[in-house]
Amino acid sequence: MTSVRRAAVIGGNRIPFARSNGAYAEASNLDMLTAALDGLAARFGLAGVEVGEVAGGAVLKHSRDRDLTREAVLGSSLAPTTPAYDVAQACGTGLETVVLVANKIALGQIESGIAAGVDSASDAPVALNDDLRRVLMKLNGAKNLQQRIAALAGLRPGQIVPELPRNAEPRTGLSMGEHAAITALEWGITREEQDELAVASHRNLAAAYDRGFFDDLVTPFLGLSRDSTLRADTSVEKLAKLKPVFGTRGKNAAAATMTAGNSTPLTDGAATVLLGSDEWAAERRLPVLAHVVDAQTAAVDFVHGEDGLLTAPVFAMPKLLARNGLTFADIDFFEIHEAFASTVLATLKAWEDPAFAEERLGLDAPLGPIDRSKLNVTGSSLATGHPFAATGGRITATLAKLLHEKGPGSKGVISICAAGGQGVVALLEGA
Amino acid sequence: MALGLLYAKAAATALGPRSSTLPDTVVRRIAAIDRAHLAAYARLCGFRFGDAVPVPYLHVLGFPQQIELMATRAFPFALPGLVHVRNTGTAHRPVDAAERLSIAVHAERLRSHPKGAQVDLVTEIDVAGERVYDGRSTYLARGASAPLAEADPPGPQPFEDGPPTATWHLDAGLGRRYARISGDVNPIHLSPLAAKAFGFPRTIAHGMYTAARALASLDGRLSGALTWDVKFGKPLLLPSVVQLRTAPTGDGWAIDVRSEQAVHLTATVSEARSG
Amino acid sequence: MTGDLLRDITQIGLVRKLGVPRIPVLRRYEPGAPLLDGPALVGVIGAGRFAEPIRALLTAAGVADAGDEGRIAAVVLDASAVRTIDELAGVQQFLTPTMRRLQPCGRVLLIAPEPDPADPEAAAVAQAFDGLVRSIGKELRAGATANLLVTTAETDPAALDPSVRFFLSARSAYVDGQVVHVGPPVGRAVDPAAAGDPAPADEPLSGRVALVTGAARGIGAAVAETLARDGATVVAIDVPAAGDALAKVANEIGGTALQLDITAPDAPQRIVAHLEERHGRVDVVVHNAGITRDKLLANMTADRWNAVLAVNLRAQLAINAALGEVLSDTARIVCVASTSGIAGNRGQTNYAASKAGVIGMVRALAPQLAPRGVTINAVAPGFIETEMTAKMPVATREAGRRINSLRQGGLPVDVAETIAWLARADNGGVTGQVVRVCGQSWLGA
Repeated sequence: MTSVRRAAVIGGNRIPFARSNGAYAEASNLDMLTAALDGLAARFGLAGVEVGEVAGGAVLKHSRDRDLTREAVLGSSLAPTTPAYDVAQACGTGLETVVLVANKIALGQIESGIAAGVDSASDAPVALNDDLRRVLMKLNGAKNLQQRIAALAGLRPGQIVPELPRNAEPRTGLSMGEHAAITALEWGITREEQDELAVASHRNLAAAYDRGFFDDLVTPFLGLSRDSTLRADTSVEKLAKLKPVFGTRGKNAAAATMTAGNSTPLTDGAATVLLGSDEWAAERRLPVLAHVVDAQTAAVDFVHGEDGLLTAPVFAMPKLLARNGLTFADIDFFEIHEAFASTVLATLKAWEDPAFAEERLGLDAPLGPIDRSKLNVTGSSLATGHPFAATGGRITATLAKLLHEKGPGSKGVISICAAGGQGVVALLEGA
Repeated sequence: MALGLLYAKAAATALGPRSSTLPDTVVRRIAAIDRAHLAAYARLCGFRFGDAVPVPYLHVLGFPQQIELMATRAFPFALPGLVHVRNTGTAHRPVDAAERLSIAVHAERLRSHPKGAQVDLVTEIDVAGERVYDGRSTYLARGASAPLAEADPPGPQPFEDGPPTATWHLDAGLGRRYARISGDVNPIHLSPLAAKAFGFPRTIAHGMYTAARALASLDGRLSGALTWDVKFGKPLLLPSVVQLRTAPTGDGWAIDVRSEQAVHLTATVSEARSG
Repeated sequence: MTGDLLRDITQIGLVRKLGVPRIPVLRRYEPGAPLLDGPALVGVIGAGRFAEPIRALLTAAGVADAGDEGRIAAVVLDASAVRTIDELAGVQQFLTPTMRRLQPCGRVLLIAPEPDPADPEAAAVAQAFDGLVRSIGKELRAGATANLLVTTAETDPAALDPSVRFFLSARSAYVDGQVVHVGPPVGRAVDPAAAGDPAPADEPLSGRVALVTGAARGIGAAVAETLARDGATVVAIDVPAAGDALAKVANEIGGTALQLDITAPDAPQRIVAHLEERHGRVDVVVHNAGITRDKLLANMTADRWNAVLAVNLRAQLAINAALGEVLSDTARIVCVASTSGIAGNRGQTNYAASKAGVIGMVRALAPQLAPRGVTINAVAPGFIETEMTAKMPVATREAGRRINSLRQGGLPVDVAETIAWLARADNGGVTGQVVRVCGQSWLGA
């Protein structure tokens, strides 16, 4: 294997994440992404600087935001000659942009780049009813009055109802939470362990804020200086009082365990990560927190197959570890995105299960249990919230800083599940 | 809408006796910025919405007080028919949307003009005692007279022909949309009939909309402390297709907005000068 | 620009005809502006060694010699050799005819000797300059200022250059009635040939790395902007909650933002690590971050007291103690004190104690740092138009604005210009000093 250089994670910046229709209710994806880029520029002295590229994206995107990332670059303090492009892979978008930029740096195509992601559940696009949209497109294409009248003749009152964005899988019609509830039931994930995971997430995040961990990772926006989902004083007792919201229909309704407390709320926010070659960082005297070592994406057939919608990381992780000759014992930090507490717990159970390892992962032995004290040590999505495409950037910058604190050679993995039955995992090494 | 009422009152008193000198009133108010309103303004004019307040929005914040002052009988001219011909402003530093603003508006420099008389409405905005914005809006009352002659500096000129920076398609409803946000409900922007009554074939775009959108095109290229000087040319009839042109100058940008028929706006913008 | 309505009103002709004295609009520095906006008169009493180099400096800066007639923008008198009462009379005879010739925002700058303890008359005469200059400051009108440089005959005249430039220029708009001691530059003597190219005149801080605390707004933002304007690369620090404003300041000046609470136990280490990693050194440290928690002592709580002391004094001490090797060998530390720390202020026992403490710290550290080539000085703002002063009751605020020789409040940039002067690499002769930026306030010495 020829050795390629590794891309350095230099640092990151995000705006605090806000519950939808809260502090950022009036802010668009473009507003938030630009603010996050400007905070990054300020932290690393990039005002007026041309970086190799900016890769970014949003899961919920207006048609007017065709080149969202490039528009954000143009409105930011970065040099207007900085190229940019949009990426989309559902909740994997943020981490996928990190991988794309890191790969280009590794290949020597660019010396520096910014990976970014943003999402707004408050300013989500509302589409026209599909039939109405077709009528209007026909009308637009009509060349004469006769054609126009013919087009308008297709109008029906029912078409005026707009199509609201739904958090549903196009092929199954089930929401993400419903899918997760099925997986939770399959793996026998209890209400208690979900609530415990949620409480740990809030406590870890609050403690990290209190020790100043996020001082150089977060820049306030629109009056918010901490993630608005964070509840430092939450407890298992408090969460136990919440009613289940997913898996509450059908024959297993009585066994429903997923509540608003152990699922992530809809959130608005943006995150960025600055990557570069070691040389570029040294030239500008910028810190190298960690290196991007490797990444793996996997997908499962959640429609007709037997796997759950959010279980693809279960399959991606063993490939990543095997390729790098590592086991869980070598890993110092596990950053597993908390779409739902049950998703994290089901993922862990799958990795611990000998039968699953043998039958589904083709392994002689399971990956094994992980040391819970190494899991999401500064909190994760249950506490920060989850603006879909921003989560990958949030986690990458957070993990890079943790690895830098731990020291050179320390290792951390990121696991992010995504809609469409996909999952992205990545391996970082402390510098 | 309060400003609508002021317009109505101004129209009702338009023919009555009027003062021949400027009132020495200073109209003051303390304002907190409504972020939802700021967001709507930013969306319409093309600014990025965030903590930093776009400079033209500072003018919008003082505009209700301008109307309040001009709608009184103590003001020498009738509000309907006044033409906004020039607007200059300096933001001495970036203004944050969380700041409480003290806004004071007064009138000064009543002077004669070849086409009538001109007067300046001065908007001063302080944050906790620190001056953050000085604005000056010059209005022309056609056919009116004033005792003093005082020449104004010529102002920004159209520059040498160059390729357009942007082409704007401005639709017929733009005047109503900007009126709703800015409070400038002058009927010439709202309905073609009213516009005809004042001698325009169709509704016309707000000059401050055109100016703000031109400035927004430079978002990211300008600091929050800036001086701008806008001279309004021929009325911009709606709907229209117009072209924006920008050219860097030594310390800022020259801007103009024109259509095939006319130059509608010329402006300069530069780093704010303190002092 | 300030919201000083009274000052603006007094610019109106009609108001002046009513006999209301005009409140001067001060001349302030713009990049590229000449040192003085008129001719200067340079005099010398006896064997002063400074007049000739100052004449040369002015000539090089394009300032004309005023001669015996007409308006003058500045009067400089080298009285460094004056030791007797008879010679002091020469000072009066030289200055008296110049007073009426001084143009608006004119400058009077005197150079006096350090007192000679072995000669009572010389010591008395040296001290006499204090009273003389402070009184001139109070007599001058229309924005003119009077300041005093005190030095010894042994001091290399070049050591005075930065101070002469500062006090004559528009940069010192709100510095009036001040006495500054200039000694031989600290540290090892630098061979001018080895020192490399001097910084360009309009970017005297070119190539220097500056740290500014409390940089998100007010005086700190003005300091960051002014140091960057003068060529410095600025690391702007403020608390994380002010990060959005801080990022804007940093991006506008092409600097970097570092969000941290300077009172956190690990803050000094984090600052030093940041400076080492990103710049390898620091040339200018401006301790500007400060808070007020006003209460009469009778109502003071421990929380209020401790919060003010922690930010305003303890953090400065801790950061200074941690800087160590990261300070370059021409480093300049500037601490923002306050005239409240000199004169005291009702309701500000905690604040005044902290700011007086800053002055004590500066005096203690100056001799310790001098052998390394590092200076440390305090700048004590008087009434500066900021958010802090705006919270005052109207009557207090109006009084605060007027009770100084310039009859107005200063601007954040006035404090920033003074700090920029103390931050210069070639200003090694000024250390352990407290310079007030107060328009010669009636409060405090």
